[in-house]
Amino acid sequence: MFIEFSWLIPLIPLLCFVIIGFFGTKMHEGGGYLAIAGAAVSTLIAVLVSYEYWTSAAFASGVPYVASMEWFAFTSTTGSFVMNVGVYIDSLACMMMLFSSFISLLIFIYSVGYMSHEGNKKRRYYAEVSLFLSGMLGLVVSSNFLEMFIFWEIMGLCSYLLIGFWSFKHPEGDAASINAASAAKKAFLVTRLGDVSLMGGLFVLLYAFQSLDYTVLFDVNNIAAVDSNMIALAMLLVFGGVIGKSAQFPLHDWLPDAMAGPTTVSALIHAATMVKAGVYLTARAFPLFVQVEYVMLFVAVIGGVTAFIAATMALNNMNIKKVLAFSTLSQLGYMILGLGAGGYVMAIGIKHGDPALIAAGAAGYVAACLHMMNHAFFKALLFLGSGSVIHAVGTEDMRQMGGLAKHMPITSKTMLIGSLSIAGFPLLSGFWSKDLILESVMDAFTEPVGWVFVILWTLAVITALMTAFYMFRMWYMTFHGEEGHAAKHCHGESPRTMTLPLMILSVFAAASGLLILFGFGDTVCIGFDGTKFIVGNGHGHDAMYYLEHIFTNVYTYVTILLALLGIYVAYLMYNKKTLNPGRFNKEGQSFIYRLFANRWWFPEFYDQLSLKLGYGTACGVDFIDKQIIDGTVNGLSSSVVGGGEVLSRAQTGNLHSYAGVVVGGTIILAVIAVALFYFMGGI
Amino acid sequence: MEVQIPLLTILLVLPFIGAIATLFMGGERAKSAKYVAGAFAGITALLSLLLFFANDLSFYDECYGWIDTAGLKMSFALGVDGLSMLMVFLTSVTVFLVILFSAAEKDRPNYFHTLILAMEVGLLGVYMAQDYFLFYIMWELTLVPMYFMISWYGGPRRHYAAIKFFIYTHVASLVMLIGIFALAFNAAAITGGGYLADFSFAAVAAASPLFGTTFQILVFGLLFFGFAVKMPIVPFHTWLPDAHVEAPTGGSVILAAVMLKMGSYGIIRVCLEVLPEGAVWWQPIVILIALLSIVYGAFACIAQTDLKKMVAFSSISHMGMVLLGIGCLSDAGVTFAIFQMFAHGLITTVLFMVCGLTGHNAGTREIPLLGGLAAKMPIYSAFMMFGFMASLGLPGLVGFWGEFGVIFSFYEYTVSIDMIWLIIFCLLSLLLTSGYYIWAMQRTLFGKETDKIDVAHVHDVSLSEGLALGVVCALIALFGLWPDLALGVIQTFSQGFISGVMI
Repeated sequence: MFIEFSWLIPLIPLLCFVIIGFFGTKMHEGGGYLAIAGAAVSTLIAVLVSYEYWTSAAFASGVPYVASMEWFAFTSTTGSFVMNVGVYIDSLACMMMLFSSFISLLIFIYSVGYMSHEGNKKRRYYAEVSLFLSGMLGLVVSSNFLEMFIFWEIMGLCSYLLIGFWSFKHPEGDAASINAASAAKKAFLVTRLGDVSLMGGLFVLLYAFQSLDYTVLFDVNNIAAVDSNMIALAMLLVFGGVIGKSAQFPLHDWLPDAMAGPTTVSALIHAATMVKAGVYLTARAFPLFVQVEYVMLFVAVIGGVTAFIAATMALNNMNIKKVLAFSTLSQLGYMILGLGAGGYVMAIGIKHGDPALIAAGAAGYVAACLHMMNHAFFKALLFLGSGSVIHAVGTEDMRQMGGLAKHMPITSKTMLIGSLSIAGFPLLSGFWSKDLILESVMDAFTEPVGWVFVILWTLAVITALMTAFYMFRMWYMTFHGEEGHAAKHCHGESPRTMTLPLMILSVFAAASGLLILFGFGDTVCIGFDGTKFIVGNGHGHDAMYYLEHIFTNVYTYVTILLALLGIYVAYLMYNKKTLNPGRFNKEGQSFIYRLFANRWWFPEFYDQLSLKLGYGTACGVDFIDKQIIDGTVNGLSSSVVGGGEVLSRAQTGNLHSYAGVVVGGTIILAVIAVALFYFMGGI
Repeated sequence: MEVQIPLLTILLVLPFIGAIATLFMGGERAKSAKYVAGAFAGITALLSLLLFFANDLSFYDECYGWIDTAGLKMSFALGVDGLSMLMVFLTSVTVFLVILFSAAEKDRPNYFHTLILAMEVGLLGVYMAQDYFLFYIMWELTLVPMYFMISWYGGPRRHYAAIKFFIYTHVASLVMLIGIFALAFNAAAITGGGYLADFSFAAVAAASPLFGTTFQILVFGLLFFGFAVKMPIVPFHTWLPDAHVEAPTGGSVILAAVMLKMGSYGIIRVCLEVLPEGAVWWQPIVILIALLSIVYGAFACIAQTDLKKMVAFSSISHMGMVLLGIGCLSDAGVTFAIFQMFAHGLITTVLFMVCGLTGHNAGTREIPLLGGLAAKMPIYSAFMMFGFMASLGLPGLVGFWGEFGVIFSFYEYTVSIDMIWLIIFCLLSLLLTSGYYIWAMQRTLFGKETDKIDVAHVHDVSLSEGLALGVVCALIALFGLWPDLALGVIQTFSQGFISGVMI
């Protein structure tokens, strides 16, 4: 009874966007309360819909709930297709819409405090975040790739608008607003590069399947009828979109810059929307991805590499938001790695018809989905916490903070929970999902080209160490040690609208991983029984399996030890100060230090690439246009009319002489035409 | 007996009367010329809207004898189908909005409106003509008012631009005229009605299957050149940026939104419908030119410093997309090419209006001199952003469907010739398009408030300008969310349009 109304989930925030956009200035808080109400209603409907789906017969038999209607039909001699709009609800969609809407709701509530001094810009802010939420929820419930793509692009637009929220009249002055405009541009263009690739993938799929409906595309019989090379090409292109949106290597560079927006926007982008869309798309299109194993291998490699290099960039960054941004990149890499490794195993399982391998692959999928949800909670917490800090001290530079724990006890404690969780401290949520991802990578060791996964696993384990280190480096630098310059002007703890969401989120950040022991693996799961893909229900493993699997594995203890080691090193360096971090950095000149601090020189590389290749070609084209093409035109006309002097005299507007030329020319041409006709009349 | 109202003739006569009326509104009355022009254009637009929702377009088919002497048969024949209908709708709406937008025009407003309405007559005539001679007359009729529009109301280099525009496109029309003569003479010879030349669409269409292959290839070349210069295509495009830079806003809007479409309209209407074998022979060249225009235009945009010149080059890129759809020679390609024509017409209206506002309200269109306008001109900025986003193909707005459909049709074509990699150029152009728009916005709207212009005089849009822009933006969103509204009309024309020769 509720599930029929699941289309309302994205529609309500969209409605809020329209209302706030037009009438926001006349409303309280620039429409903020309406945005909160909209998110709350969406959350409520998402809860009801999820409850109904998970208790329905459809879920029990492993099929999604699908309802769609025709949008427009196209018929032609070469092939016809129908574009539908509708909803496709399965466990994955339920999980996504639950945490997206819920976290967005908390972020909106937090915004009331955080954006309180923005004055008449609040209308713009609340309108845009509502549209952003609508984009994400629409993407999640979409029933076909095209509908998904539309919401995907709407999110791209919203991220552009919100990252550039301060792109004019920045509170910190002109330099900051130029920076914000540049970051917004970068975010839009880099993700657009991915989107264009995704669009290419959609063309291939549409041509191959004559449809973009998930139900058609995920049908094994339809898949079997399509050349697997075409599917591989399509999925590689689609994954290009994921690389852009989820900020994977080598298109990861927009995300750290995107910190130029308000912190709430960063929280929204990193936790609830935007970057999660890419991971979601990979999970959503899993039935197509697992058709070709080398595509999944590629996915896994991209994920592993991203996880590693992003973590290195966080090691020596001084900006609290940037550290969190790099950690998002790194964690997204984990998710993609989990999907890739699991998918690789599953692809081989499907190829050989081996149910054990398929089940093992599904564990990677479960782990990635769990990590996506856990990450949403702890990253929202961490960003909102950092926002609370920035709100209080007015800087993002961690060197100017320090000792804030006593001024901001709630922020400090909740951020400690978030940091422990992301670092993989035993029994907190990050621990479960990260460990499961690592195990799913290990499952691929024994398959063909297992050595790739050995390398990826090693990278991932080192990343776990680095994660623990940089998170606690951040925590100690911010909340402990000597008070920095800005910390002395601290306003004290943030208002209740900001701390309440922090406290709620910290509960989830600590405990959401425990869901794996309460049926998560059986619910958000994908299976394959030889004739069809099964979503959720009964094809994962129970709690005992996971407990046994995790705690009997010796490598689990290795990662736990590494996480503790990372925390301990950070403690020694930044709290106890017995270990001088400067020893790894000879006056800021060591190669490794500069490599990390300059983000492996990716920004320079892209700047040069766009400047030299893009702008350079453009200038070349412009030169050809002005000098050669237009030069020829002008040269021709002056030689015909008799020199530039005559032409310029003719240009004084004496049209009569031109009329004469025109009439004469017409007559001559008409004669030619008649001759032509007689000449060719016999053909 | 039921009396049929000659709706199409009325559509043509209304702006004509308006043009005459405003022509004589000199002196004191010149100020009220805009109301007269607005009324005539408004009624025309409403009638075309009525026509848009007509059940059966073929019902409106009007033919009056005209010249029937010395072996020549020319008639005043009008008709509309799915292709014409969209263009008629686009023309009448655009012209009305231009008049609304230009309400503040102070310089000889009566002549300004005369020229606009005269252009409307020519444009509607081109899109409704069912006779090649009428088609040609109307085609030339659009040229003259545009010439005066540029040379009277234009910028500092207006005479150069106007002459260049006139000569360049006129030479192309003459080449086209040769093609038309060839069609008419050959058709008369084949159908054997006793004429030396029969210019009616019906006669040429009837004779078309009997045209020889060589004849088709040659005449296709002549007509294609004539039409393509108007679109325009690279390398025959250089008249366009100059004309746009110098033309007043109203002229630019009509030029880009409606007049360029005459070229692609002609290609579909004449080249494809009448000369299918020629089309097949020319297909690779057409595709090549289209791809060249798309990528070249996009690159050229990046290098421009004049906002209006950038938008002018973006027209070249987007009209290349239209040509690409046509070049696929498939139902889907033609359908979405027409959709793209319509979409580009709506979007480019916003773009040129915004460019005009930049020049007028901020004092200059030079991007390096601008910056931080969003703070002073929020409504203008919103429209600019909307227009740019629509033009770069944001899904949910009208521009997306044209591009999506055309590139998909092109993908079908590349699969059939086993060269899938060709779509890289289309995808590249999408990226470049985002690039120049986003970069231009960054430099004009955002960042530090400029100190290179007289900031004190910067002001936001006026009511009539905002209203005109608002209506176009609403149409862009409406047709974007409900593409079937236009696709349905187009498909009454394009379904099964492609003849067996082309497949």
